Amino acid sequence: MIELENISVKFGGVIALDTVSARFEKPISGIIGPNGAGKTTMMNVISGFLQSSGQLLFDGEDLTRLSPHGRARWGLRRSFQREQLADDLSVVDNLKVLLDSLPGARAEKQNDLDRVLEITGLTGRADTLATDLNTYERRLTDVARCLIGSPRLVMFDEPAGGLGAEETDRLGDLILRISELTGALTLVIDHDVDLIKRICAQTLVLDFGRQIAFGETKTVLQDAKVRSAYLGLAEEVG
Amino acid sequence: MRMTQSGAVGLALAALAIAFLPMTVGSQWVRIFTSTTCFAVAAAGVGLMYARLNMVSLAQVGLMGVGGWVLLRMNHGLALPFEANLAVAALVTAIFGMVLALPALRMRGLYLALITLMAAGGIEIVLSTFRFPNGGEGFWGVMPSVAAPFRRPVLAESDPAYLRYALIVAVFCMLIIEAHRRTAPGRAWAMIRRSEAAAMASGVNATLYKAWAFALSGLLAGLAGGLLAGSIGLLDAATFRASESIMLFALAVVGGARYWLGAVIAAVLYRVLPALFNDWGIDPDLVLIIFGAALLHAIITAPDGLAGQIMSTLKWRRQ
Repeated sequence: MIELENISVKFGGVIALDTVSARFEKPISGIIGPNGAGKTTMMNVISGFLQSSGQLLFDGEDLTRLSPHGRARWGLRRSFQREQLADDLSVVDNLKVLLDSLPGARAEKQNDLDRVLEITGLTGRADTLATDLNTYERRLTDVARCLIGSPRLVMFDEPAGGLGAEETDRLGDLILRISELTGALTLVIDHDVDLIKRICAQTLVLDFGRQIAFGETKTVLQDAKVRSAYLGLAEEVG
Repeated sequence: MRMTQSGAVGLALAALAIAFLPMTVGSQWVRIFTSTTCFAVAAAGVGLMYARLNMVSLAQVGLMGVGGWVLLRMNHGLALPFEANLAVAALVTAIFGMVLALPALRMRGLYLALITLMAAGGIEIVLSTFRFPNGGEGFWGVMPSVAAPFRRPVLAESDPAYLRYALIVAVFCMLIIEAHRRTAPGRAWAMIRRSEAAAMASGVNATLYKAWAFALSGLLAGLAGGLLAGSIGLLDAATFRASESIMLFALAVVGGARYWLGAVIAAVLYRVLPALFNDWGIDPDLVLIIFGAALLHAIITAPDGLAGQIMSTLKWRRQ
């Protein structure tokens, strides 16, 4: 379970996050909101890239004492809005960057790599340079990186961005399997409300840095404030 | 570790150079090629920073001066063998490079270039003020006119043997860089170059790996400076001007910072071309015009430098 308690972030005079509190208990949860709502800021706070006030706990453990790379070693995995792969490294070397920082025997790490490549269907592309991958394969490599080691919390920032409907569905299926495969808790940020509705049991809705709703996804998406903020329409979202 | 085709060609060329170059050229050219070898090692350090981390370091020639100073001081002050002095010079310069990196670790691009250039300027002033030790009395050890005798490696006392020795050290340096590129540091540097945030999200301690790159680049500069001191026996502060660091960086870009061949091309342009001009009775300063044109060419049409162009031409011919 990840607990956010009164998380606030200020950039000069701008309040990017304003006392946001949520408790994500389900295997997959979502964070949605219009552009500039503070979704990525929240992800950056959890990753340790931004200082915030408030508390950030995972199963009661205070994550704020860890550096960003320390959080990755602890088991935090995340993707970015644009896939961040080193283009001159192969798929397998991109995954090894994370493995290099984790303890364990070489054989054990190789088994982990093989397992992750098989899950993501990238085995045949393992030695391909990242620059030669298509958008979907790059996304898959990002997901593969999130499965490496023993992840405890996995965060995706708009994983379906730039993908077609079929690829989004396949990626959604893969994300749905993450907690079953690794036991990790998953947080997904996306504009695609259909995807959020399909895969997330709980959803936090942000608007202008403020929390406007949090709870079961179905209930949240029917909330009048969410409908108004998200689409500017008095209709059910999604 | 699998050897690439270009790696095999490089090692074969190096073996040929080690075997035949010292025997086939005259004494003046032996000294020029020794100095070229030293600058190839230093250029490889600049290339490492630029190609692997996209960081511009303009202190490399200044750091060579630090390595040269330490080696001369050790040589004249202690009775240690040349190899021990060279190792200490390289380590001291690596530490110096890492200390220099500390304020620069949060900077990139122009700001980092300026900080390193200021450091190079500082080193230039210190070297000009206190001069290189030459076996005189006291800690600074500078005599007004003559220099004390200089000890070279036991197996490389003659100039041709010393060129061979320098070439072997240079090959060793290129192999160290290649070993880094293929293992965890190389992967971490590639990810830092892509995005520091993504690197940290992948568990990479970006500060540590950047400091490591500075230290490795400093180590190479220290070895280069130490080898140069061993070649000449007495160094001159004018060799280590801050402007020379800018020149070496520009030539590393022209040569191709990503490749070992790029460092060799950079050093050949830097040392051999002016000597050739001199031999032909042409003003050596005219090479600056060629360097300028080559830099423009590299920036506009060859981001991987001349070495990149050679490598892609060879690849295309093979296909």
